[in-house]
Amino acid sequence: MLSTLRIENSPFNEQQLKQLQSSIGALDPAQSQWLSGYLAGRLAGPITADSTPQVQANAVLTIIYASETGNSEGIANQLLASLEQQGFRTELLAADNFRPAGLRKLKNVVFIISTHGEGDPPDAALDLFEYLESESAPRLPELNYRVLALGDRSYPLFCEAGRKLDERLQALGASAFGQRVECDVDYTVNAQKTVDEIILYAKDRLAGDAQTAKPGALGAGHLSLVLNESRWSRTQPFAAEVGQIQRITGTDSDKDVYHIELALDDSELRYEAGDALGVWAKNDPELVSRILAALQIGPSEIIHCNHTDMTVSKALTDHLEITRLTSDTVLAYAKAGSQDDLEVFFSGLAPDQQQLFISQRQLADLVDAYPAQFPAQILVEMLRPLAPRSYSIASSQNIVDEAAHLTVATFNSNASGTNRQGVASGFLNQRLKPGQQVRVFLEPNRRFRLPENPETPIIMIAAGTGIAPFRAFLQELESRASNPDSWLIFGNPHLRTDFLYQREFLHWRNTGLLNRIDTAWSRDQAEKRYVQDVVREQAVLIDQWLQRGAHLYLCGSLQMGQAVLDALQAALAVQRGIDTVQAAALLSDLRREKRIKKDLY
Amino acid sequence: MSKSIASNPVEGIKAASNFLRGTLQESLLDGATGTITDSDTQLSKFHGIYQQDDRDVRENRRRQKLEPDHSFMIRARVPGGICTAQQWLVLDTIATTWANHSLRLTTRQAFQYHGVLKRDLKSSIRAINDSLMDTLAACGDVNRNVMCTALPELSKLHTQVYQAAAGVSEHLTPNTRAYHEIWLDQKKLTDTQDNEPIYGDVYLPRKFKIAFAIPPHNDVDVLAHCLGFIATSHDGTLTGFTITVGGGMGATHGDPTTYPRLAEELGWCRPEQVNQVAEAIVTIQRDFGNRESRRHARFKYTVEKLGVAWIREELERRLGYTIETAQPYVFTRSGDDFGWKQSDDGLAHLLLFTQNGRLADTEFATQLTGMREIARIHKGDFRLTPNQNVVIANVSESQIPVINALAAKHGLDSYKQLSKLRLHSIACVALPTCGQAMAEAERYLPGLIDKIEQQLEKHDLLDQAITIRMTGCPNGCARPYLAEIGLVGKAPGRFNLHLGAAFDGTRLNRVILDNANETEILAALENLFDEYSNNRNTGEYFGDYFIRSHQQSPAEESKNV
Repeated sequence: MLSTLRIENSPFNEQQLKQLQSSIGALDPAQSQWLSGYLAGRLAGPITADSTPQVQANAVLTIIYASETGNSEGIANQLLASLEQQGFRTELLAADNFRPAGLRKLKNVVFIISTHGEGDPPDAALDLFEYLESESAPRLPELNYRVLALGDRSYPLFCEAGRKLDERLQALGASAFGQRVECDVDYTVNAQKTVDEIILYAKDRLAGDAQTAKPGALGAGHLSLVLNESRWSRTQPFAAEVGQIQRITGTDSDKDVYHIELALDDSELRYEAGDALGVWAKNDPELVSRILAALQIGPSEIIHCNHTDMTVSKALTDHLEITRLTSDTVLAYAKAGSQDDLEVFFSGLAPDQQQLFISQRQLADLVDAYPAQFPAQILVEMLRPLAPRSYSIASSQNIVDEAAHLTVATFNSNASGTNRQGVASGFLNQRLKPGQQVRVFLEPNRRFRLPENPETPIIMIAAGTGIAPFRAFLQELESRASNPDSWLIFGNPHLRTDFLYQREFLHWRNTGLLNRIDTAWSRDQAEKRYVQDVVREQAVLIDQWLQRGAHLYLCGSLQMGQAVLDALQAALAVQRGIDTVQAAALLSDLRREKRIKKDLY
Repeated sequence: MSKSIASNPVEGIKAASNFLRGTLQESLLDGATGTITDSDTQLSKFHGIYQQDDRDVRENRRRQKLEPDHSFMIRARVPGGICTAQQWLVLDTIATTWANHSLRLTTRQAFQYHGVLKRDLKSSIRAINDSLMDTLAACGDVNRNVMCTALPELSKLHTQVYQAAAGVSEHLTPNTRAYHEIWLDQKKLTDTQDNEPIYGDVYLPRKFKIAFAIPPHNDVDVLAHCLGFIATSHDGTLTGFTITVGGGMGATHGDPTTYPRLAEELGWCRPEQVNQVAEAIVTIQRDFGNRESRRHARFKYTVEKLGVAWIREELERRLGYTIETAQPYVFTRSGDDFGWKQSDDGLAHLLLFTQNGRLADTEFATQLTGMREIARIHKGDFRLTPNQNVVIANVSESQIPVINALAAKHGLDSYKQLSKLRLHSIACVALPTCGQAMAEAERYLPGLIDKIEQQLEKHDLLDQAITIRMTGCPNGCARPYLAEIGLVGKAPGRFNLHLGAAFDGTRLNRVILDNANETEILAALENLFDEYSNNRNTGEYFGDYFIRSHQQSPAEESKNV
């Protein structure tokens, strides 16, 4: 529709058309809906022309966000809506859609930034970090800012990107108008609190500057559109009925991977290939019973959790994290149980050893290894709130309509010889039955979408369940008329049992939709072989595809992602006859141009 | 030479294959699938390799969104079934390293492996070639493994006949370099063109089978083959061969234009003429065989269509000389005669029973291990019989006790206790790996024999030799149409029951029950055993009795399959 807009049939000049087409084309359905409401609201309401988002200098507060999964963006939108509701002209910027040099002109900025991998900032913030960390970075004495950092305590270097940003801004002379906020995977409470504080700050300090817009000036219609972007959210998930639960690794595979089909009927949830689905799982009631029994806590004992009273059993099953430990939990457990040995031992570990310790254990393992006794309320308070798990959607709605497919590997931690399962994978793969419901919400991932140009070649590199979004991509391409060159590089232990969705990908290759499949079966020969080895072997072809403008997608574990990027850097260095530094710069360029897209976990 | 324009797709695949290369190299490198391409599956047969899948798990794999559980069957070509102890050890290593830990002895005296994954094909085939055997032409539209009577007590005659068999095998081996390039990584020769003077570039219309028999043993069922050579001798020295043509087992259910057929006598030739005769017959089939319809493409239909007299005339025209009239022969038996035998050179030979040719280690017997241990100490060689059994051949007097002890230790001497019926049983592989199978065979026949044995015991017939053969489909790998009791699979649990073949392999059986289940089969046999035990003449075989008492005339064959 948009591509048929021409100078002759529209009021725009060529450049405006170009900008419109590229920016509107990148919007997902919810965003388009928001924008149409916004424009309608602007026309209907008494907003003056100088509040146009493009006129940045007039905004009193700017929100800059960067994330890989969409959580930062969600909070940013929430903050924007709240500020606008209060009448503050607010500007919302994705970190990769903004020139960092513009920072000098801004006075009040909220940074919302997540941390990935080994304390890395998201790709979207690469330019910003490079700019701030360079020797020529300007002093920023005019800048008032606040950092809201997102992270996951079960990974090392929690909220590291936010911390770095905060420290760097301080060093450049900027002043924080509040403490850096660090949010764990369950960020809603902290985020809401921060939004409230920022609004107080705005009212307190910026009211004078906000005269151009009056509270509620945008009109109720607009606001309701903003706030109800989707009926369903993380805090108000949709109860999806489970259709099929089918194991898709071969009978004698060591991997336990399931294909799960969820019905989205009547939810009006619209997702795009590349998006993820958040899943609220429940802990295994049997595991909860065993933990409580070991701690000699009666399961029906009433405790206080989430501002309400409930049985400790319910709290552990529905509300608290018992499968992922944090350092804080370990130390709190040691303290509550007077386990001095554990405290001394754990505190004495190097950070990476601490990380290893907690990544291999669950609460039940602690309870088994360090028997203790303490009040139920103390137990409840040492545990993090249960957070939803996120799964890349393995389907395209153009093909599966009112459904979403997930690819879920049963996550096992086995340090103490017991076979402990992850909360969501155990819930989805083992405890849930077809016909039951699971609470889900959409997690848009605009950074992991098919290229805007339908003819751009794509290289998809996945290991294990990382293949999920690529199944969605292929379904999406199948439903379209366009047929860009596409290439799948997939790895798992064994060809015979572990090629997830093998029949489908072979079918796509047979029909010509998929041009090429290369595989790395790690345990099918004496030497281990991984997808990064394929990247090395296929350096010539990969370089050719990239020269033709291919976008390269990575999905799988963080380690796999890093190994592939390292292999790619080395391969490009050889192919193009450049040194490591130049190759690294080339890779950074590709990431900045959003031609390398990652969905790593 | 006339070359018909073929309409069946396999002919097109062969023609386009560049002497059997196709895209096998690329197929082997494709890591996304355990298969090779469809057209390569036709070509791989010429290299001795069949793509198969475990049919038991097909449906489950479909639900798991995985392709079928593909693996490959590899057949090693062993003319006359003879291999050395060293070669046996190599074959054993392949079985336990890349295949499913079993070694199968086929009804054509070849070795067969199952369950070899695509990634292990090359290693397996290379190992076979390193031990001076090969798999080329073990399957496909070419001359297959040449068979030869396994255990004549006359060692001199056997040696002469075996040499003739091995000579024909060598003479009819395809020339293409494709095999060496693909499996043995030998360099592509740029200066020489592939040339198949015997086969031409589309090879034969269908498989071609040759057997050598040494009367009075008809263990090879010589009349079941496209081309047969029945040895004639004088004072224990080979004088020549009576030539038979046009035998074959395969048929298609519900298609009366397909049928098993016994070979007819064509003439007689001297030993040194064998290669020329075989080549001329093969080229006649190459030029006149049916290339339109694969189910009508065997040489037996060419013989049926053109007549033996015409074939003989054409043969003599191609040879440039006339051949003599067939000499008479007498067979006394088919099947194998178990236990120790001594030959005229003073060496001993032990013929062991292996049920349906499967050597494996099970909870009951460690036969695969047993054969390995025998191979480690054995100074002679091994011979596979045409009935899925094995001979430990050329044993010196002093080794006999050692071999006896090992055979007993590993359950290889079961022939001492088993019923004559079981010792004369053959079953093809069928489910779950064979793509042709409509019913069980190898996995089912032993249990069915348990039940038939109870009937035989009741009628005091346990000592009577009766041949029983079962196949999962009508293609006839176990030569079921030459069994006194033949069972040909039609559907799961359903078989056609054939009765009345001659014990010496010179008369086909006929269909008695169509699509029968086990109860019906056992009921029919129960009645007949009852009659047979009461009414048979002295020494009368079960098949002969059936024909005498139940058929109007001892018709030569039944085309009603």
